[in-house]
Amino acid sequence: MTIPAVESYRERVGAALAGGSRFAGLHATSDGSHVRTLLADPDGSTRLETVAPERGVVPSIVDLAPAAGWDEREAHDLQGIRFAGHEPLRLLVNHDPALERWVPVRGDDVYQLAVGPVHAGIIESGHFRFHLVGDRILHLDAQLFYKHRGLERAAEGKTFDEGLAYVSRACAACNVANGVSYASACEEALGLAPTAELRRARTILLELERAWSHLNDIAAICAGVSLAAGNNSFAALTERARRLNVVLTGHRFLFHTIRVGGSELALDEEQTQVAREELASINAAARRGWRELLFNTSFQDRLPDIGVVSATHAERLGAVGPGARAAGLAQDLRADSPLLSYEGFSAVVPERAAGDVQARLEQRALELWQTFEILDGLLERPIRPAVAEAGGEEHPIGVGRVESPRGATSCVVERRDDRIERLRLRTGSYANWPVVAYAATDNLLPDFPLINKSFELCYACVDR
Amino acid sequence: MLTLLRDLRRLRKTIGLPQPRRGRSLAIRHVDAGSCNGCEHELTQLASPYYDLQRLGLGVVASPRHADVLLVAGAVTSRMREPLLIAYAAMPKPRRVVALGDCALGCNLLGNTDDLIGPVEAILPVDLRIPGCPPTPEAIAEAIIGLIDGSPLAPTTTTVSSTSGSS
Repeated sequence: MTIPAVESYRERVGAALAGGSRFAGLHATSDGSHVRTLLADPDGSTRLETVAPERGVVPSIVDLAPAAGWDEREAHDLQGIRFAGHEPLRLLVNHDPALERWVPVRGDDVYQLAVGPVHAGIIESGHFRFHLVGDRILHLDAQLFYKHRGLERAAEGKTFDEGLAYVSRACAACNVANGVSYASACEEALGLAPTAELRRARTILLELERAWSHLNDIAAICAGVSLAAGNNSFAALTERARRLNVVLTGHRFLFHTIRVGGSELALDEEQTQVAREELASINAAARRGWRELLFNTSFQDRLPDIGVVSATHAERLGAVGPGARAAGLAQDLRADSPLLSYEGFSAVVPERAAGDVQARLEQRALELWQTFEILDGLLERPIRPAVAEAGGEEHPIGVGRVESPRGATSCVVERRDDRIERLRLRTGSYANWPVVAYAATDNLLPDFPLINKSFELCYACVDR
Repeated sequence: MLTLLRDLRRLRKTIGLPQPRRGRSLAIRHVDAGSCNGCEHELTQLASPYYDLQRLGLGVVASPRHADVLLVAGAVTSRMREPLLIAYAAMPKPRRVVALGDCALGCNLLGNTDDLIGPVEAILPVDLRIPGCPPTPEAIAEAIIGLIDGSPLAPTTTTVSSTSGSS
């Protein structure tokens, strides 16, 4: 697309969004000298629209792309950028102790309930401020970033190989997806192209991660309804999937399996056969368990019309992953991933794509069946260590995008020579947290744990 | 549902977990002080049929007010320092602090120095260290069971167990 130079940053972003591009992230460079918006075009390609702040101020795009809300607040807190038109620009990474600066909710009988950062179960740390009348939620403010470790800042100046540790440490549950998005970004910057064998190795690892993650999500939703039999059954299957990860890679969470420019994954014929048999067995047990859940009326009765996010609002808020697909948006990066091995893949959505807890639960099952099928195909033959091919064009900035179990994850790597100048990781969980807050609105407080578990987002790879 | 229950009963027999030697219990409160979520995922598995830690009288309780043991995962971030200290202060004495996972022990910490306080022992007295990245459910189970049965801490845990019902 040819863009006349006179057009402003806002006009360029606005024109791209009107042309069907989706907002995929915004970040400031580490010195605050530039702000870049990542746009994903309908043909699967990405581009960055860059603007230089004038006296520390750039125009906000939050009215054009509400999904940019958290990104702009983060760039304000971490790089000191001010966004004109983003009012009020509330703190996100830095916490504001002043109560009056929370979104004010006023009216008869309105009260606040503060939950966390330490929760009652085994849950990551984060604070939820509910505004309620009785048990009815009027508004939810999610205050995360209690676990902010400054991983991106700490990775600056490191080599591309060293940078991987910072990305992996961001989140155990999304370790492969985040690692592959980072490796892809580095490889784009370095002019490296993954070979077919490397694409297959990474796709196997991504789908092994999705398998345990989705099994875990179904267990978690059962726990959210206090259905112990369902919770225990799917927790046991999650355990089997993690034990298979040990057999194949030596680690329950597939740590240390991703590398920039290659893969060391080696599975001989016997190992791939063992994997296919165990996956087929887990698949059969999961389908049997799923049928039981479908016919449990008291379980099913808790699910419909709870935590509804319509397709319009999912699109507006920038929802990604199973949450977006359960609302009927058939968007899945796997359908257009030339750097991975997803030939013939197309996104599934449930027949009743109501965007509620029931649809998000069904979405996990539908995606699990896909994942077992993909893995069975990819493991038909042994896999050998592989390297990426050199010789492509080098770039000052590389972008990698991967469909994690929680949705589209984008990684931007800006380089100075052979080192990281700026690293930004925007995960599926990051995109979806504002959607969870929206989904809670108008529901009953006792249903919030269930709504939350129906997204089952990470805090760790949001907080970084 | 009967199918699920039957399958679970069969799985329980197959796994054949040993029963505890004697009836005691510990109430555990978990605090994520800045982990990558790996320790949390493995802790959650301790309740699954493969480990079933409840059979030993070990349970995660909803509040530090009910807890004998504070199980802390992750390197302590600057933003979690205060919530962690509040949780510890809320616990009845005697109390024990367990540092869970390499980050909580201060191994290979990654991050920005302004955002990290350091290992758990930088701000709390640590009684038990469980290494691993993340520690496996077996490693967590063994270490915590050691708090009840025949561990260096055994003499004090006899008084600790009086705050909650025996198994």
